[in-house]
Amino acid sequence: MTNIQTKRQLNEEYKNIKYILTSTMRSRLILAMYKSPKNLEELRNELNKPSATILHGLKELENKNFIKKIQKQYQLTSNGFLLATNMVKLIENWSSINKNTDFWDNHNLSGIPKELLKNMHFLKDATYVTSTTSDLSNAFNRYIKLISNASELKIIMPIYSENHFRHIIELLNENKLKYLELTVNKEILKSIKANPVLKRNLIKNKKVKVHCVDADLKLFLTYAPTFMSLTLFFKDGHYDDSQILIGTSENTLSWASELYNIYGGEK
Amino acid sequence: MINHYDINNDIKFLAKSEIRLKIISELQKKPKSVKELVNTTKITYSSISSNLSKLEEHNYINKKKNKYYLNPLSEIYYRNLMDFKMSIDLINDFHDFWDKHDIDQLSTESLQNIIDLKDSELIKTTPLDIYKTHNTIKEKINESNNLKAIFPYLHPEYPQLIGNILKNNGTIELIIPRNMFKKMIFEIDETIRKAATKEGRLKVHTTPKELKIYLTICDETMSLGLFKSDGSFDQNRILISSSKKSQKWANNLFTNIKGNM
Repeated sequence: MTNIQTKRQLNEEYKNIKYILTSTMRSRLILAMYKSPKNLEELRNELNKPSATILHGLKELENKNFIKKIQKQYQLTSNGFLLATNMVKLIENWSSINKNTDFWDNHNLSGIPKELLKNMHFLKDATYVTSTTSDLSNAFNRYIKLISNASELKIIMPIYSENHFRHIIELLNENKLKYLELTVNKEILKSIKANPVLKRNLIKNKKVKVHCVDADLKLFLTYAPTFMSLTLFFKDGHYDDSQILIGTSENTLSWASELYNIYGGEK
Repeated sequence: MINHYDINNDIKFLAKSEIRLKIISELQKKPKSVKELVNTTKITYSSISSNLSKLEEHNYINKKKNKYYLNPLSEIYYRNLMDFKMSIDLINDFHDFWDKHDIDQLSTESLQNIIDLKDSELIKTTPLDIYKTHNTIKEKINESNNLKAIFPYLHPEYPQLIGNILKNNGTIELIIPRNMFKKMIFEIDETIRKAATKEGRLKVHTTPKELKIYLTICDETMSLGLFKSDGSFDQNRILISSSKKSQKWANNLFTNIKGNM
């Protein structure tokens, strides 16, 4: 047996989340009232449980001051509303990771700061595209298609890929792309400078700003006014060009913008 | 807006067992063997080992040689859970501050990031010091070179405090009710006010809407005050913090309210 003191400490440490998260009744009641105040009948219908069970749960939450009853309506207190908002965040974070589990689980996530990993709910509308055996460059082609309509691009580029550069330079020359910001590390910058075509079209191009950073870049992020895309490295260190995460919602873009600014942009 | 939210079984699986949570929190620091886990947690061998198997079965951890490693996603799940825990702790720690107060003007984002305020201190007035909240804020404003604030009501000392900052070449940005504009702004020394306005150091946004929030952002600290549910401002409580996160939180809130005007 684990000794009593250890047990007590553990209980104390985690009792709050246990109280809220492990009771289906309590958590569902809070979430039901998050949408709007409800009377007993509405709660009974929504939760599909007998009145006695629901009343018991309501009493418990009332004692904890998470809900209150005004006339016949049960509603969240301000404390309860704060709790519910954060509960919804937890649920959304979880489901947003689960939606793209394979993408996240396959890759090295060390390039994404903890703060942003905790805000995965911003990515709930993002989806990933995978190359298949019948279409090996599916992910790459999607990427090229995406950037071909952008007038402005900010890219964290952790790899030296002439294939990517060729397409980007084409867009610059056609004047479709009017502004490009590239964040690279010293090694990549050196390789770009060593290639006369890239040097002329990127480094010496007024439409292009190149930021050189010291960080070991472990993500390929593209941030544009209307979309963002992300590709990562495998856990074994190799770059993976076969899976690309793409998002266009306002939240996803603000997540990407924050991520970009951590590495790139003016310091 | 929302279809159906529910706490899924994965969340329950972790939240149900303090031992599993403890194991993950240990493995998050570094990979450990069963024996090391027993030694650091003081939990019995049998409990550790049976929960390790369950965690492995659910793909949260994996075993290499005799050490257990946390999968990268498990760490994210765990951090999300701990953030949630922290938000409950914060609600409880400042229970009186939130309870029976109006939080409608705090955006969803501000509420979701409420743990950014976790290093705050709750300042309360006492019978011996009934101006403690006001004086604390006043002191912070006096120490600051710049000020951003949402003032839902006028305190007779504000024009003077603002004037002082402007006189020292500081910057002020305010959100105030429209009907307060004259009383607040015209009370500032005219020469100072005109010069600052010209130089873009004094920006005032007015709103016809009722402001239900009190916020000051100084160079080093932020403070937050709320209205009670009965509609009156609670002069007896403010939350004050000098952490970077709270500063960012307050700035986001300021921008959000400005954007909604």
